[in-house]
Amino acid sequence: MARFLKLRTPILTVALMALLLAVLSACASPQNTFDPKSDATDSILTIYILVTVVASVVGFAVLAAMVWLIIKFRAKPGVPAKQIHGNTKLEIAWTIAPIFILLIIGIPTMYWIAGTAEDPAPNVLEVEATGHQWWFEFTYPGMGLDGGDLITANELVIPVGRDIRVTLYSDDVVHSFWVPQLVGKTDMIPGRTNVLQTFNAYEPGLYYGQCAEFCGTAHALMRFRVNVKTSADFSTWADAHNAGPAAPEPGTAAARGSLGFATCSGCHAISGTAAQGRIGPDLSLFGERSTIAAGILDNTDANLKAWIGDVRSIKPIPEGARFMPTFNDGTLDEGQIADIAAYLNSLTAE
Amino acid sequence: MAANTGILRRPLAPVGIWAWMTTVDHKRIAVLYGVTAFFFFLLGGMEALVMRVQLASAESTLVSAATFNAMFTMHGTTMVFMVVMPAGAAFFNFLVPLMIGARDVAFPRLNAFSYWLFLFGALFMNFSFFMNAFPDIGWFGYAPLTSNEFTISNATDYWVLGLLVMGVGTTAAGFNFVVTILNMRAPGMTLMRMPVFVWMTLIVAFLIIFAFPPLTIALAFLTFDRFFDTNFFVDIGAGSDPLLWQHLFWIFGHPEVYILILPAMGIVSDVLPTFTRKPLFGYSMIVFAGVVIAFLGFGVWAHHMFTTGLGPWANAAFSATTMAIAVPTGVKIFNWLATLYGGSITFKTPMLFALGFISMFMLGGLSGIMHAVTAVDSQQQDTYFIVAHFHYVLFGGAIFGINSGIYYWFPKITGKMLSEPLGKVHFWLMLIGFNLTFMPMHILGVIGMPRRIYTYAEDMGFEFLNQIVSAGAFIIALSVIIFIINVVRSVRQGEPAGDNPWEAATLEWSISSPPHHYNFAVVPTVRSQYPLWDENANVVLPPALPAHDEPVMPDPSYWPIVVAFSITMVAGGLIIWQGHAIAGLTVIASMGLLGMRAIYGWVLEPMEDEAHVSVHH
Repeated sequence: MARFLKLRTPILTVALMALLLAVLSACASPQNTFDPKSDATDSILTIYILVTVVASVVGFAVLAAMVWLIIKFRAKPGVPAKQIHGNTKLEIAWTIAPIFILLIIGIPTMYWIAGTAEDPAPNVLEVEATGHQWWFEFTYPGMGLDGGDLITANELVIPVGRDIRVTLYSDDVVHSFWVPQLVGKTDMIPGRTNVLQTFNAYEPGLYYGQCAEFCGTAHALMRFRVNVKTSADFSTWADAHNAGPAAPEPGTAAARGSLGFATCSGCHAISGTAAQGRIGPDLSLFGERSTIAAGILDNTDANLKAWIGDVRSIKPIPEGARFMPTFNDGTLDEGQIADIAAYLNSLTAE
Repeated sequence: MAANTGILRRPLAPVGIWAWMTTVDHKRIAVLYGVTAFFFFLLGGMEALVMRVQLASAESTLVSAATFNAMFTMHGTTMVFMVVMPAGAAFFNFLVPLMIGARDVAFPRLNAFSYWLFLFGALFMNFSFFMNAFPDIGWFGYAPLTSNEFTISNATDYWVLGLLVMGVGTTAAGFNFVVTILNMRAPGMTLMRMPVFVWMTLIVAFLIIFAFPPLTIALAFLTFDRFFDTNFFVDIGAGSDPLLWQHLFWIFGHPEVYILILPAMGIVSDVLPTFTRKPLFGYSMIVFAGVVIAFLGFGVWAHHMFTTGLGPWANAAFSATTMAIAVPTGVKIFNWLATLYGGSITFKTPMLFALGFISMFMLGGLSGIMHAVTAVDSQQQDTYFIVAHFHYVLFGGAIFGINSGIYYWFPKITGKMLSEPLGKVHFWLMLIGFNLTFMPMHILGVIGMPRRIYTYAEDMGFEFLNQIVSAGAFIIALSVIIFIINVVRSVRQGEPAGDNPWEAATLEWSISSPPHHYNFAVVPTVRSQYPLWDENANVVLPPALPAHDEPVMPDPSYWPIVVAFSITMVAGGLIIWQGHAIAGLTVIASMGLLGMRAIYGWVLEPMEDEAHVSVHH
C-alpha cells in the first residue's frame, strides 16, 4: 500500500488531472475558462493547467503521505513512540524544495505578466467600456460619423482575428469586465483608467460576459455579450450603425413606435435620429442584439414589451437608484409599448 | 471606604448574572467569548443556508436580490469578526495564563472591556436587521458603493460603526496578550519553552496591533464620508480615490487571514504531540515559520487587487511575495507530518479534527498558490474558485482547528469529557459535508460562476454542481446539531475528566479541571517544554489551597461593561442624529459623559476591593 502510494501518486495524479481537464473543457458552460476562444485566454489556460497539475501533484502526494503515516504509526500495544525532536537536514530540505516547485510556476507567471505589458499590433481596435449600475456601455473612438464616437451598449461587437484593446471606465461604483472565454477580468474603477489585456478572438460567435465585482443590488443581472464577427460583417455593422435607420413604412407599428420613442429619447440615443439621450444605453441597431436588459433576457418581442413596461419586475432596482422609470403605470398603454418594441426591433443592419 | 469610587456597590458574589457581567477572570471571559462566538456561528451558518437554498436552482426567486446580498455580507462579516476571531480569543483567554503559569492576564479589566466591546459591536451591527436595514455592501465594503449616494438606507452605518466598536476591543486585546505573554510567564518558562499555541497567540497579538489601525483608519474615513460629508472615497472630481479603501482594507485584510488561522495552527501544534505521544517535530521551525508568515503577511495585500490595474511591476512583486508565503506554510505542514512519523497515534476526536485541519488547510493553501499566479487570478478572481479557496483555509483550516481545540480542552474548561462516539460522528459528517460543499465550488469557479450573484441563468450549466453544494451545506448543519447534542449531554451527564485525561504534557493539565479561580496554588517553576512528560522537570503542584491561603485575585468590576456600553451608544447616537439631530446629540453627550465617568471610576478603583483584601491580611 505504502509503496503503491509513494510510486504511483504522481502518475495517478496526472491521469486524474487529465480526466478532470477533459471533463472541464467539455463542460457546456458558456463561461467555461477551460474552453478558451482567444489568444489571451489560451495563454492563461496554459499556465492554469501547469499550476493545477503542480498543485494537484503536491496535494495528492502530501495527502498520501499523511494517510500512510497515520496508518503506519497508529498506536500498537508495546510499541512506544520515538522521541524525536527534529532534524536539521530535513528542515533545510523542505524549506528549499518548495522554492524550486514555486519557480516552476513563478517563472511562467513573470513571463506572462511581461507579455501583458507588450504593445498590441498596429491595427489594434481600441474600444472604451464604461460600467454603469447595471449595464455596459461601449464606445469606439473615431469610428462614428465624421470621426466621432460610435456608441453601443450591452453587446460588444468586434472583428475576429484582430487585436482588441479595451479601456475601462466606471460611471458610478466598481465593476469588473470579464468575458471568460475571451479575456480575463479587469476592474472598472471610478476615477481610474484601466486597460484590459489585449486579446484576439479565434472565431466568430456570441460570447458571454458578466460583471465580476459586486456593484449593488442587481449585480447578478449585469451581464453582456461579445459578438465576434468576420471583418466584413463588422464593417457592415459599423456602417449601418452610422447610417442610422431607414424611415419606417408609414402606418406600421414601427412607424408609430418611432414617434412614440420621443418618450425615451431623453435618455436613449439611436444613431442617425433625433434621439440622442446619453443617460441610458444607446439603442442603435437594437434589432441586431441577441439579448436585452444587459444580457439577461433573449431579445424577443414579449420580453422587450415586459421590460419597457416594468423593468422592476425583471431587475431588482432599489428605491432611489437612477434607473429607467416604469411605464406600464399609465404613462404608456400596451399598444404604445408594443409599438416602441416593434420600432426597436426594426432597427437592423439590413 | 469600601468601593469608594462606585455608584453601585462592587458586586463580589461568585455566582449569578452580575458575577458574569462584572467578571475579570480570564477563564470566565473565555467562556463568554466562546459561547458568544458559537451563537454567531449559528447565525452566520443560517445566513449561509439561506444562500444555499436560493442557489440550489437556477433563476430562483426564493429570496430577493437585496436579501441575498445582505446574507453574504453578514455571513462574511459575522464569520470573520464575530466567530473565528472571538473563538480564537476564547482560547487565548482560557489557555495563555494556564499555559505560561500565570494567574490571569496582565490587564484583567481591559480584558473584560475587550469582550464587552466585541459583544456590543456585534449586537449593534446585527440590530440593523430589526431596523429593516441589513448591510448589503459585501464584507469588504468596496468604496464608493458604501457612500450615501449608492446606499440610501443606514445599513452601512450600522456596519461601519459596528466594526469600529469591535476593532477598539480587539486592539486592546492585542496589547493585553503581548504584555501578558512577555511579562507574566512563570519562572523558567522561557520563550522557547512556551507551547506553540502561546507563540501563535503572541504573533496574532502583534498582527492585531499592526493590522487593525489601517482598518480603523479606513472605517473612520468612511464614517466621516457618511456622516459629515467628507470626501475620502466619494467625489472623484474633487480628488477622492475609491482604490484607497481597497489598499487600506487589504493591508488589514491579509494579516487578518493569519489572525484567523494562526490560533488554529497553535492548537494543532499542541494537540499533535499529545496524540502521537512524542514531542512536536521541529518546534523552533514551526515557531519561526509562524513569525515569517506574520511578517510576509504584511507584504502581500495587493494579491487581492491583481485585477484593479496596479500594473505589471506591482503584480509581479505581489505575486512573488504571495508565492513566498508557501515556503513557511509548507515548513509547518511538513513538520506536523513529521510529528506523526514514529508516533503512537490514537484517533480521539481532537486528533481527528487536527488531521482534518492539516489536510484541508493544505488544500486551501495550494489553491491559494494557484491565484498567486496573476494570469490564473484574472480568471479566478471573484469567482466561486475563490470562495472554495478561502473556505478551505477558514473552515477546513480555522474551524477544524477550533473544533480540535474544543474537544481537546473542553474537559479542562468544564471538568467533563465530551462523548467520543458523538465526536466522531460530528467529525466525519463535517468532513464529508465540508468537502461536498466546497470542493465543487472550485469547478463552478472554473466554469465561470462569479461570486456574490443571487441568481444565475439556466443555460449557464451551474445548477447541478450548486445542488451538490447546497446538499453539502445541510450535512454541515447536521454535524453542528450533533455537536450541540454532544455538548448539552456532556454538561449534564458527562464523565468527569480528571486533571489530565489525555495524559498531555503542558502546564494547564497539571491543575484541576476546571481550574480554581486563581489557577495555580503555587506558581510553578518550569524546566522543560513538556513539563508533565519530563520526569526531571515534572511539576508537582499542591492541591487546592484552604480558603484563607488563597491568593488575592482582582475583584470583579462593572466599569469595563459600562465604558463599552457608552462607546457603543455613542455610535448609536450618531445613527439617531441622522434622523433626529437633537435626540442624537443628547444620546451622544449623555453617553459620552457616562463613558468619561466610567473611565475615571475604572482608573481610581483599586484592583482588589478593600473589604475583600482585609479578609486576607
